Amino acid sequence: MASTTSTPITEVIPIGDPPIVIETRGLKKTYFGKIDVPVLFGLDIEIRAREFLAIVGQSGSGKSTLLNILGALDVPTAGTVLVNGVDISTLDEDGLARLRSDEVGFIFQAHYLLDEFTCLENALMPITIRHGEASDEDRERVLKLLERVGLGDQINKHPDEMSGGQNQRCAIVRALANQPKIVLADEPTGNLDSRSGAEVFEMMREMNRLSGVAFVMITHDDRLAQAADRILLIEDGNIVEITNDEHKKKVDRLTPVKELA
Amino acid sequence: MKPFGDIVISALIPKAYRFEFRLAMRHLLSGGLQTILTISAVATGVIIVVFITSLIFGLQNMMSVLLTESIPHVTVQVEDPKPKPIEDPNNPTSSRIEVSASRLKFIDNWDEVVTMLRGLPNVSDVAAVVSGQGFASKGANPIGVTVVGADPELLDVITPITRDLVSGRYKSLSSDEIVIDTELAKDLNVTVGERIRLTSSSNQADSFTVAGIYNRGQGRGSAYVTLRNAQSLFGLGTSVNIVYLKVHDIYAVDDLSNSIMALTKYEARPWTRDYSRNLTNMQMMGISAYLISAFSLIASAFAIASVLIVSVLQKSAQIGILKSMGARQSQISTVFVFQGLGVAIIGSSVGAVVGTAIAYLLSLPTRPAVAGQEPLALFPVKIIPLYIGLAMLAAIITTVIAAVLPARRAAKLNPVDVMR
Ligand SMILES: Nc1ncnc2c1ncn2[C@@H]1O[C@H](COP(=O)(O)OP(=O)(O)OP(=O)(O)O)[C@@H](O)[C@H]1O
Ligand SMILES: [Mg+2]
Repeated sequence: MASTTSTPITEVIPIGDPPIVIETRGLKKTYFGKIDVPVLFGLDIEIRAREFLAIVGQSGSGKSTLLNILGALDVPTAGTVLVNGVDISTLDEDGLARLRSDEVGFIFQAHYLLDEFTCLENALMPITIRHGEASDEDRERVLKLLERVGLGDQINKHPDEMSGGQNQRCAIVRALANQPKIVLADEPTGNLDSRSGAEVFEMMREMNRLSGVAFVMITHDDRLAQAADRILLIEDGNIVEITNDEHKKKVDRLTPVKELA
Repeated sequence: MKPFGDIVISALIPKAYRFEFRLAMRHLLSGGLQTILTISAVATGVIIVVFITSLIFGLQNMMSVLLTESIPHVTVQVEDPKPKPIEDPNNPTSSRIEVSASRLKFIDNWDEVVTMLRGLPNVSDVAAVVSGQGFASKGANPIGVTVVGADPELLDVITPITRDLVSGRYKSLSSDEIVIDTELAKDLNVTVGERIRLTSSSNQADSFTVAGIYNRGQGRGSAYVTLRNAQSLFGLGTSVNIVYLKVHDIYAVDDLSNSIMALTKYEARPWTRDYSRNLTNMQMMGISAYLISAFSLIASAFAIASVLIVSVLQKSAQIGILKSMGARQSQISTVFVFQGLGVAIIGSSVGAVVGTAIAYLLSLPTRPAVAGQEPLALFPVKIIPLYIGLAMLAAIITTVIAAVLPARRAAKLNPVDVMR
């Protein structure tokens, strides 16, 4: 861009208004097939650092579809997705892989830990993929996270030797291993009983508070949704309700952002 | 505390491939029966290749040794295909009588030629020979025979006679002594110590005492006399008409013959020209060995490809989560190529060891020895380290090629589709 004036490039971020991590503009998604299934009808969403956002909606309303698009696992039919200000439609396959590695962490309903690896190795997996090997500092950091989610004595166990809740907590640490800006969680407590589900949610909430990483969590559990900073309800392909907005602003100002470990 | 495996990986695998290597190895380790089956498929392919090549090339080797040990490898003579110096077992009529009284064409500077030939590379032995057609007789009925006169010590190296003796001797052959084959001895009804008469195609005649009788087991053989006797029988004075060569590498005779013809004015005839049919048969054996090898490797490649495709299907959710964690397509496909490579290296090593062991064990039993001869192996197995290495290499290459299709399939999987 040609600029004739000497405007400083530095962006001024207003205090108390954390930067936008993911932003969508006119996001549309239709699944084309024998019958075309229109799912999302043009969503404008802003997700900021440090916030904990819950996405709710009926089954089949398009929650997973939205989350997959936000994490660059799927592409929208129309509209743009900006992650850290970068339009992800401009990225090639390797660029998308790097984005999934460095900017985003995923948690799914199933833990998807690799059976062949221990809890610690699984938690380190995003680093191993990215760098071939975890450095000692990475190892230390991830070990601390595992301790914090209560898996300090489970690190050498394989997924089939741990409970569903333990596996899901390991998956949370794995999602955070590469220190992403945002974690996208698709019904992370969906496979768990209410007690371990609540535990897992608390862990996520704690990670969010401590590290400031934004969380987007799809849930069918109203109590968990109410505990988020903000709730996004998807209905008929649109966002019809955003609640907890005032609450969110309060949390932003009050929550001190500490780096973990 | 790092596990031991990690230390090994850190030492051996470049950092950029450690994730792929580690995952591939874990897949193999956790693959159990699947891994064992694919390794067995590769091993079986390599066993077949090692075994078949050892056996067929061993057979080929034995055939060419048997074929060439009793004949000159190159025959140098004045340009004139007649007289045929040795009997062609494929064409027994070649020992028929040449009814021409013409003088044999002689090599005038033969001692120079012999000295020169001795100095050529690949040449191991050289013998100057007088050879022509004649009639052997005892009383009436003369029988056609090829007469060969040469220094017994030299000729015995090139066309072994002593080895095949049934009675008498050849080495210390003296003037007016002759060694004949059992056929002729039977036809003439003579034994060692009796006298026979030889008439040459140049119509010279002489009497000889039978000093030895040999049996080469292949049709009618020549009658051997001293060089001097043959020279006078054929009226060659002190000349010879043929020079026989023995070489180290029996397959390199064409080049040698060509250079001899370039260096002298004489015709050099390699053994391969008289035995082209046997040679073609041996080449066909070689080709069949290569074909069997290729097909068995292709068969094991199919086995590996199908097992890897199943493995990709089983691991599709895992591939999805890895991609969601930022694994690139190339990383995913590398995992499966490494998996194939691991199977290939282990399988081909096992195959090489087992195949060599089988070939070795087969080389041990021998046929009951024929009197006076070394016992022959029942299976003429020849273990060729180069072919074992090539078999392993070929197995590794085909396995990696077999892994490419499943690997690409894995790389293209869409995480959203495989993680529902
Ligand atoms: N690959 C696809 N092809 C066609 N239609 C699809 C595909 N994936 C999802 N859909 C449809 O899109 C709609 C939204 O699906 P999505 O999985 O996003 O819903 P959801 O809100 O996550 O539901 P749930 O709460 O049950 O997980 C559904 O009607 C579904 O049938
Ligand atoms: Mg869903």
